[in-house]
Amino acid sequence: MSPTISRRRFLEGTGAAVVATTIAGPSGAQGTADITGTPPHAPGARTTRISLTVNGTARQIEVEHRWTLAETLRDHLHLTGTKIGCDRGECGACTVLVDDTPMYACSQLAIWMDGRHITTVEGLSANGQLDPLQQAFIDHDAPQCGFCTSGQLMSAKALLAANPAPTIDEVRAAMTGNVCRCSNYAHYTEAVLAASRQTDRRRV
Amino acid sequence: MSPQRASSAGVQPLTTVGHPTPRIDAVERVTGKARYTNDVQLPGMLFARVLRSPHPHARITSIDVSNAHALPGVKAIVTHENGQVVWGSGSVAGGQQYSDEIKKITTHRRYTFNNPVRFVGEPVAAVAATDRHTAEEALHLIRVTYEVLPFVLEPEAALAADAPKIWPEGNLAVNNRNEPQPQVQRRGNVEEGFKASDHVFDARYSTAFVHNAQMEPRSAVAQWDGDRLTIYTPTGGIANCRTDMARDLGIPQEKVRVVCQYMGGNFGNKNQNQDADLIAAVLAKAAGAPVKLELSRKEDYIGMHGRWPTVQHYKIGVSNDGTLKAIQLRGFSGMGPYRKNSGAIAGTELYQCPNVESIVTPVFTNKTVSGNYRGPEFPQGFFGIQSMMDDVAAALKMDPTAFILKNMTRKFRDDTPYTNYSLEECLLRGMEMVRWKERWRPAGTDNGRLRRGLGVSFMAFRSGVGRSNAVARVNAKGDYTIHVGVTDVGAGAKTTMGVIAAEALRVPLSKVQVVWGDTETCPYSVGESGSRTTIMTGYAVIEAAKALMVQIAEQGLPAGDRVLTASSNPNPTVQGAVRNAFGAHFCEVEVEADTGRVRVTRYVTVHDCGRIINPLTASSQIVGGATQGIGMALHEDLVYDRRSGVPLTPGYYGARVMTHQDAVAIENVFIETDDGYGPYGAKSMGESSKVPAPAAVSNAVFNAIGVRVKDLPITRDKVLAALGGRA
Repeated sequence: MSPTISRRRFLEGTGAAVVATTIAGPSGAQGTADITGTPPHAPGARTTRISLTVNGTARQIEVEHRWTLAETLRDHLHLTGTKIGCDRGECGACTVLVDDTPMYACSQLAIWMDGRHITTVEGLSANGQLDPLQQAFIDHDAPQCGFCTSGQLMSAKALLAANPAPTIDEVRAAMTGNVCRCSNYAHYTEAVLAASRQTDRRRV
Repeated sequence: MSPQRASSAGVQPLTTVGHPTPRIDAVERVTGKARYTNDVQLPGMLFARVLRSPHPHARITSIDVSNAHALPGVKAIVTHENGQVVWGSGSVAGGQQYSDEIKKITTHRRYTFNNPVRFVGEPVAAVAATDRHTAEEALHLIRVTYEVLPFVLEPEAALAADAPKIWPEGNLAVNNRNEPQPQVQRRGNVEEGFKASDHVFDARYSTAFVHNAQMEPRSAVAQWDGDRLTIYTPTGGIANCRTDMARDLGIPQEKVRVVCQYMGGNFGNKNQNQDADLIAAVLAKAAGAPVKLELSRKEDYIGMHGRWPTVQHYKIGVSNDGTLKAIQLRGFSGMGPYRKNSGAIAGTELYQCPNVESIVTPVFTNKTVSGNYRGPEFPQGFFGIQSMMDDVAAALKMDPTAFILKNMTRKFRDDTPYTNYSLEECLLRGMEMVRWKERWRPAGTDNGRLRRGLGVSFMAFRSGVGRSNAVARVNAKGDYTIHVGVTDVGAGAKTTMGVIAAEALRVPLSKVQVVWGDTETCPYSVGESGSRTTIMTGYAVIEAAKALMVQIAEQGLPAGDRVLTASSNPNPTVQGAVRNAFGAHFCEVEVEADTGRVRVTRYVTVHDCGRIINPLTASSQIVGGATQGIGMALHEDLVYDRRSGVPLTPGYYGARVMTHQDAVAIENVFIETDDGYGPYGAKSMGESSKVPAPAAVSNAVFNAIGVRVKDLPITRDKVLAALGGRA
């Protein structure tokens, strides 16, 4: 399944037969950490079971109401490619796609994600095939330390979906919510422009 | 994107070195597979959080953790009463934390938890619980009573006779002999120099606290297996971190394993251990379970370290033709309450001058701790002295490039030759690129709403050779493995080591595997700080490869499961010369006279970093450093409330780091050289492009508006005040 497939197309394709392939969630008793290193629910915490689709796979998980999407992805679904740089909506390292819209996962609560489709960096490459954006990031040495890279990729992915041939100013505007302290901004924008040219050619 | 490169005579092309090479771990970095410290999850792992002081200076009179302990899920709590460990590299006389001898004599001990607390953000207690929310909740249940003490924030104020004393002996930070003495450098006699001068100028410049602000907030995962400790932590020096942890915890080095496979940025003072590592280890021991300690972004800003703020008073004597006769610097560095590093102010060495006196006084304050950040003492000092010299040139009605070419260093401290000298070539090349001679106009020529300016700065920067280690192995199939104690903080060291090994072994890069980032599998290597990794560890890789090739020549490739192993421990030296990297920066700005807004419209850098090992990653380093320097010049500041001593802007928004929309395209040219030292002639790079950048921006703004903003950052309010003052 394409990692960027829209929610509507996903539902059309699978009908009502969406089966939860994984029931993720703390398995240990309350107050004890479980053997995978997944933190348990806090004793007495209020929780709700939600269903969401992550990188094309339906998941169910019992979430604490205070869990953010970012910590849920990282700690409970073991998708650690999404990074937490500030945990307060400043840096964009945790950017993921929620129903194809780039959002700061640190600023979304997990319980709001019931029924939503999430795409993380792990969902960008299918069957070992890198997304053209990922290849362009490699070719242009866009990641230095790499900590902001997943967020940069997801913002760029959303930009190119909406605007396949952006100008350099449009790239900067779309990605300016993604801080890179290594300050490799020029390499990031060059990489996005290169990927857009490549995607454009394939479309034509 | 490949940068432009100009080769000096004598730089012979090589097979693998010098070709743009994507990182060997690039796929891991773009797929989310790269495993950073906080990605480590261990069975039964607890989560830890730190309670920090809300006061800039206070004595803890009582601390009650009983309610916190009673919260279900809480497994361990440490405070200054039960978890005090000396953090050796947290505060050492003279800020020289890498020396055991100096550690022994230091009197300013910093513990993991101190009483009194001396800055807002200093650790007071730490809690480990089954999940992070319970740990956070528990912090709110700890009751601490403080006796609030008077505080002082600014270094000059801290030296006043009636200033609150942060340490019993006073606020003048001690040197590495524990003496309260400033750092003094002298040659010639400045008073004689001023007498012999036609003009004497003096002025005061200042720089702000700028945080490293690496993207990865600090975390540490500690796991005990009996008396053996494994610590996962973002460190640029796994070997030094291990030594530090063992010393501080009082256990043998062999009992400590340090792992750092990927690190989300370094930018200084991370070639060591941190208090977070020690707190995680103590909590894990107390709880009998692995512990992950996490710092928030705000805690990382105020609880770690950043570039020390400085005040710089210059007095310059010069003759009518612009020849320097005397340079005097009286500088003050704000260190926070602990001496994490030197507090020096560099820059006087950039000029030829017979009479120089530099007196720099590091001072304890109740701000957050200062430490190394990308070229520790250089961007501040280069901003101060090169702004001063730019002002002197303007007063003498000289073109600043003419002033620089007349006065810039030609021998180190006018005495020792450089291993090669390309500073003039860097300047002339940059002048050509920006068409300086046609386009430069005297400061303040523009009078409209939009005022354009052109500024220049230059750098000469340490590039010393030294000891490091590497191990090379080969198996029967001819697969090579290079073991190096680097962690790859983002600069691309892993790939650089692979490229150097492939060149030395005369095999394709695909035949070379690099093993890194784990003290269990890597030899001691010099940590990633001081722009040393390529020069020192890269050289050790060549030596290990050569030794392995000798074995292969003698015995052939090993048979079956056997491997051949060679190790190296070279300690090269430079005789009778000083090894420096050189560079020049040119900055063009537009200043809006009505709003005070400064926009960098063009930025050109020319660097001699010796031979370029990997042009692809090298250009990332140059671009990134220059961009950080522009941010330091124009925006970045940790602002304090003067009445409460509380930092107001800790974080990316508040401290205003550069974003996609702030960043300008940096045009870079490498002047490649090979002076015969280092791996194939490579010199220092990581800090090179940061250090001259604030000065170039400052000089461009001065050229645009004709008035000097002497205090960094050059924010709109200061530009408007400068323009208003002139009208």
